[in-house]
Amino acid sequence: MQALYIASSGMAAQERNVEVISNNIANMRTTGYKRQRAEFQDLLYQSYRRAGSSTSEQGTIVPVGIEIGSGVKTAATPRVMSQGDVAPTEKELDIAIRGEGFFAVDLPDGRTGYTRDGSFERDATGQLVNVDGFSIQPGIVIPDTANSVSISPDGTVEAFLNNSTTPTTLGQLQIARFANKAGLQSIGNNMFVETGASGPAQSGTPNSDGMGDLLQAYLESSNVNSVTEIADLIAAQRAYEMNARVISGADEMLQATTQMR
Amino acid sequence: MENAQLISLSRQVALQRQMDVVANNIANINTTGFKSEQLLFEQYMMPVAKDKDFSFPDQQLSFTDDWTTIHDMSGGPLSQTGNPLDVALEGKGFFVISTPQGERWTRAGAFAINPSGTLVDLDGNPVMSEGGEVKFAGNETDITIGTDGSISSSAGAKGKLRVVEFDDPQATEREGNNLYSGGTPVAATETRVVQGAIEKSNVSGVGEMTEMIRVQRAYESIAALMREQDDMRRSAIQRLGSLAA
Repeated sequence: MQALYIASSGMAAQERNVEVISNNIANMRTTGYKRQRAEFQDLLYQSYRRAGSSTSEQGTIVPVGIEIGSGVKTAATPRVMSQGDVAPTEKELDIAIRGEGFFAVDLPDGRTGYTRDGSFERDATGQLVNVDGFSIQPGIVIPDTANSVSISPDGTVEAFLNNSTTPTTLGQLQIARFANKAGLQSIGNNMFVETGASGPAQSGTPNSDGMGDLLQAYLESSNVNSVTEIADLIAAQRAYEMNARVISGADEMLQATTQMR
Repeated sequence: MENAQLISLSRQVALQRQMDVVANNIANINTTGFKSEQLLFEQYMMPVAKDKDFSFPDQQLSFTDDWTTIHDMSGGPLSQTGNPLDVALEGKGFFVISTPQGERWTRAGAFAINPSGTLVDLDGNPVMSEGGEVKFAGNETDITIGTDGSISSSAGAKGKLRVVEFDDPQATEREGNNLYSGGTPVAATETRVVQGAIEKSNVSGVGEMTEMIRVQRAYESIAALMREQDDMRRSAIQRLGSLAA
């Protein structure tokens, strides 16, 4: 009787589902977080009586066979890359991307990280860095004498230097996009890195060629919807319980078998 | 007398298989586009050829034979995901996936775009449109899919998703990975495509639980029946075999 193994695959899948949901809920207030969803697929089927095999010498065939499935597996946990709400922060180096694109960040291991979290700071040298102190590509240095830094929707960074009355351009922020952004690998710290599935990063100027525009003094909230997550959690929990019930049911059947003498 | 035991055994084997089917339905209660399965039984008459010429003609016995699993093709509930590449089907149609083994059909419309810009399913197999694979350039945005399956993006119209229907969906076979094969596909006429949603599994938790309890109790009662038969046979052997008789 396979029922025991089938139900245990169901319990394992629902356990994974709850893990994904709890991570979403834990990151409900994480800037730039994109929620994940567990996607399941059925496993192989065993054909006890194959459709199309002949049933007589007259050429009659089995119209529909017996197919018994062997359970379920987690196929993928794709990220839902929809836009999160943008919330005002009144901090001049907070930047939200509205639309497509990721900020590129130099990671200490030499790789480039991609993030939607635009809560940036100045480090000791005036370099624009993220909250972990990693510099933003392309490097932009904001001098000590700079006043009222402004970042335009197309990424131009300007500031008034030395009490000047005309702004000086300090640099141009670039953002990157991917053919398959759901294929990016998450490495924590709100950071993604490119993979073979995401395709190479395509850098560009914000607000052009399909890229999103930048909003200064705003941050993108996570796109987790608490109501949906709780509803999914309830569904996952009940599905887990039902699978557990099947295991005890199958166990009772096996017990009846052993007591048959 | 052994016949009674063999008939019980045929029922027991069938019930075990039915338990497997119920377990598989429950395991897939959250699987996108999953259709629940049911096992059907028929009676199998033995002996197949009988002779009426004897003074006591051959008596026919009916065994239980599980002869088919049928797909319950009713629609599952649609769940909004907000992902533009999630598509659900309303109606009896299927999407067409091109796998290395040939064309396969699926109701699970959780799609993605691979690095070369092709629309694929979660296993990386291309999703077919009327004109073959669907390709997107890296800088295209605003992918929309209309209710008739027509795809468009910022770069204009991209063709139409191929949706097929089956006059006899029972003729399709399950392949795993949410795929079906076989059957006679015809172009869909009464299926609507819904973007930004996926179709949940159509397994009813209550229905399957009830079914499971029924299977379990039927199994226990048949096990008890076999025990009774065993007792009967034992007492017959003791009675008939004793020297005092």
